[in-house]
Amino acid sequence: MKKNLTKLALIKKSLATFALVTMLTTPVLAQTVGVSMAAFDDNFLTVLRNGMVKMAEGMNGVKIQVEDAQNDVAKQLDQINNFVASGVDAIIVNAVDTSATQAMSNAAKNAGVPLVYVNREPINVNTLPDGQAFVASNEIESGTLEAFEVCKMLRAMGKAGGAKAYVIMGDLSNQAAVQRTKDIEDVVSMDMCKFIKIIDKQTSMWSRDKAQDLMTNWLSSGESFDAVIANNDESAIGAIQAMKAAGLDMEKIVVGGVDATQDALVAMQAGDLDVTVFQDAAGQGAGSLNAALKLAKGEKVDKKVYIPFILVTPANMSQFLSKN
Amino acid sequence: MADSKHGIGGLKYDTSKRHWPNEANVFIALILIVLVFEGLGLFTQGNSFLFDSKGRFDSIFNEQRLKIIILQVSIVGIIAIGVTQVIILGGIDLSSGSIVGATAMIAMSFAQVAEVNGSPNPKAIFLEQGWVDLPLIIPLIIGLFCGIIAGGINGLLIAYTRIPPFIATLGMMVTGRGVAKWWSKGRPISFPTEDFTLIGNGFGGWMPVVIFISLAILFFLILKFTVYGKHTYAIGSNEEAARMSGIDVNRHKVLVYTIAGILAALAALVLSSKNLTAQSGMGVMYELDAIAMTVIGGVSLSGGRGSIFGTVLGSLIFGVIISGFTFLRLDAYYQEMVKGIIIVGAVVLDQWRQRRVASRA
Repeated sequence: MKKNLTKLALIKKSLATFALVTMLTTPVLAQTVGVSMAAFDDNFLTVLRNGMVKMAEGMNGVKIQVEDAQNDVAKQLDQINNFVASGVDAIIVNAVDTSATQAMSNAAKNAGVPLVYVNREPINVNTLPDGQAFVASNEIESGTLEAFEVCKMLRAMGKAGGAKAYVIMGDLSNQAAVQRTKDIEDVVSMDMCKFIKIIDKQTSMWSRDKAQDLMTNWLSSGESFDAVIANNDESAIGAIQAMKAAGLDMEKIVVGGVDATQDALVAMQAGDLDVTVFQDAAGQGAGSLNAALKLAKGEKVDKKVYIPFILVTPANMSQFLSKN
Repeated sequence: MADSKHGIGGLKYDTSKRHWPNEANVFIALILIVLVFEGLGLFTQGNSFLFDSKGRFDSIFNEQRLKIIILQVSIVGIIAIGVTQVIILGGIDLSSGSIVGATAMIAMSFAQVAEVNGSPNPKAIFLEQGWVDLPLIIPLIIGLFCGIIAGGINGLLIAYTRIPPFIATLGMMVTGRGVAKWWSKGRPISFPTEDFTLIGNGFGGWMPVVIFISLAILFFLILKFTVYGKHTYAIGSNEEAARMSGIDVNRHKVLVYTIAGILAALAALVLSSKNLTAQSGMGVMYELDAIAMTVIGGVSLSGGRGSIFGTVLGSLIFGVIISGFTFLRLDAYYQEMVKGIIIVGAVVLDQWRQRRVASRA
C-alpha cells in the first residue's frame, strides 16, 4: 500500500516536473538516466558501474541514478518500473537473470522510455523493440585474439615449421569456455597458424589448482610442447606454476590467458605469462551510457553495440595494471 | 591352528573363518587399475603409465607421474583423514569443502606481502591497517583457529542438539561458503609472503605429500593404539553400548568433529599456499571427494569399521584415475563418469563382502 502511494507520489511529482520542463523548454535540457545493476559487490561490475558514473560526472546536464538489484529479479523489475514512473529519459539494465528481460523490455516500451542492456546478453536480444539496445563485448573476440597472438609469437620465435600446444578449458557448462575453445581451434585451422598442433585439451574448471595438477600430469608424459593456451588467466597461472616447479624455461614456452587480472599482469611482469585479453568493464559502462543518451535524443543506435576486447602483451601491459 | 589366539579379549576363533583385511582388497583394486592403464597405454600410446619408457629418468619409474599421482590427492587426502574418523564414528561431514574456502580466504588475508614488483600489493586486504608481511605463525594460527571453530560448532550441534550430522554439517557447508564469499566481497586474495608459500611448496614441491603422509601415519597409530581410537570405533559400532560402558559419547563427538575441522583448515592452508592465492570458490566438492576416497578405501558408511590406511589407498586410486585419464588423453567427462562408477562399485563390493562374512561367521 505504502509502495503504491510512493509510486503515485512519484508519478505526480514527475508529471509536475514534466509540465514544468515543457513550459520552460530551457535550452539546457538535463537528462536523467536510471541504472539498475545486478549486484554492487561484484568486482567486474563495480568497475563497469564506476566507468558509467565517471563519464556522467564529466558531462554537462547528465544525471544518473544507480540502483543495486542485489541479484533479485523481482527487485530489478520494481526498480525499472520506478524509473519509468519517475520519468527518467533512459534506463540502463545489467540484468540479474538474462532470461527474465522480456518483461523489462515490455515495461520500458509501453512507457516509451529507451532501454539499454549492458554486459549480460538479454534473451530477447534479437527481438529488441525500437529504442532498445545491448552493449557488451563480443565473446568471439577474446579467444581469437589470444590464440592468434600466441600463433604470431610462436612464428616470431621461429617455430613456424611446427609447434605443439596444450589447451586448458574452463567450466564446460559455461558458454564462454565453449566459445573460447572453439575460437582457439578456429585460429589453429587458419593457414597462417596451421603449424600449431593441439596435443590435448582438458578442463580445469577455471581453477588455478586444477590447472596446476592438469599441467603436471601433462608434463609427466614427457611430451615436448611450445605453448599453453588457457581459457582464463587463473588456469594459465596454474599451468605456469606447474611448469616452473618442473624447472621448465618459461622463455621458451608461450602461455596465454584471458581476463587481464592483477595476478595475471604480475605474472606477465615476471616474464611468465605472454598473452592475455582485457575485457573493458569501464568501456562497457561508458558505452552503455552513450547509447542510452543517444536513444534519449531520438538518435539511431545499433541493436548490438560491441566494446572491443583488448589484447594485452608485455608491450602494453602497463596501461592495464590498475584497470580490472 | 584352530586353537590360536586371535580376536578381542582372548576370544578364540577358527582361523579358517578369518578373512582378508579389507585394505588388502583395496590394494588389489589399486594394482588392477594401474595394470589396466598400463595395458591401455601400451596399446594406444605405445607408452608406459608408471615406468620410464622414454629414458627420461635415472630410475625405472616415471618419477614425475608417481609424484603427481600422490601430489594431486594430498590436499583432499588431508581432509579425508578427518572425514575417515567422522565416518568411523558413524557420522558424516559435508562441511569440509566450505571450511577450506573460508579458512583459505581468512588465513591468506593475514599472509600477504606489502609490495608486489615495487608497487603496493593490489590484492592486500589489510594494507591500511598495516597487517602485511606478518610472520608465518599468524596466518597459521588464525587458519587452524577457523578449523577449530567450524569443526567445534559441528560437533556441539551434533552432540547436544541431537540433529543428524548430515543436517548440521550441511548447515556449516552453506554458512562456510557464505563466509568465504563475504570475507573479501568475492574478490580473490593473492600474493602471500615467501614463508607462507612454503606450506604448499616446500621440499621441492613435496610438502603437501609430506604433510598428508605424516598425518596419515600419525592418525593411523592414534586410531589403532589409543583410547581416542578405541572410543571412536566403539561409538561407531554401537553408540548405545558405548554410552552404557561409560564413554562420554558427546564429548568424544565434539572432539572428532573438531579434529576434522582442523584437518580441513590445514588443507586450506596447504591449498592456498600451493596456489599462491585464496578464492571464495576454493574447495567446492572437496567434501564429496574426501568421502569418496574414504568409502573406496573400505571405510563403512554405517560406522565402526575401516582405517586411515584404507583411506590412503582410496586416495591413491583417485590419483591413479585422474592421471591415467590424462595419460590416455581421454576427456574429463569420462573421468567423472568412471569416478562415479568406482565409488558405487566400491560400496556394492563392500556390502557383498560383509554379507558373505556374516553368513560364514
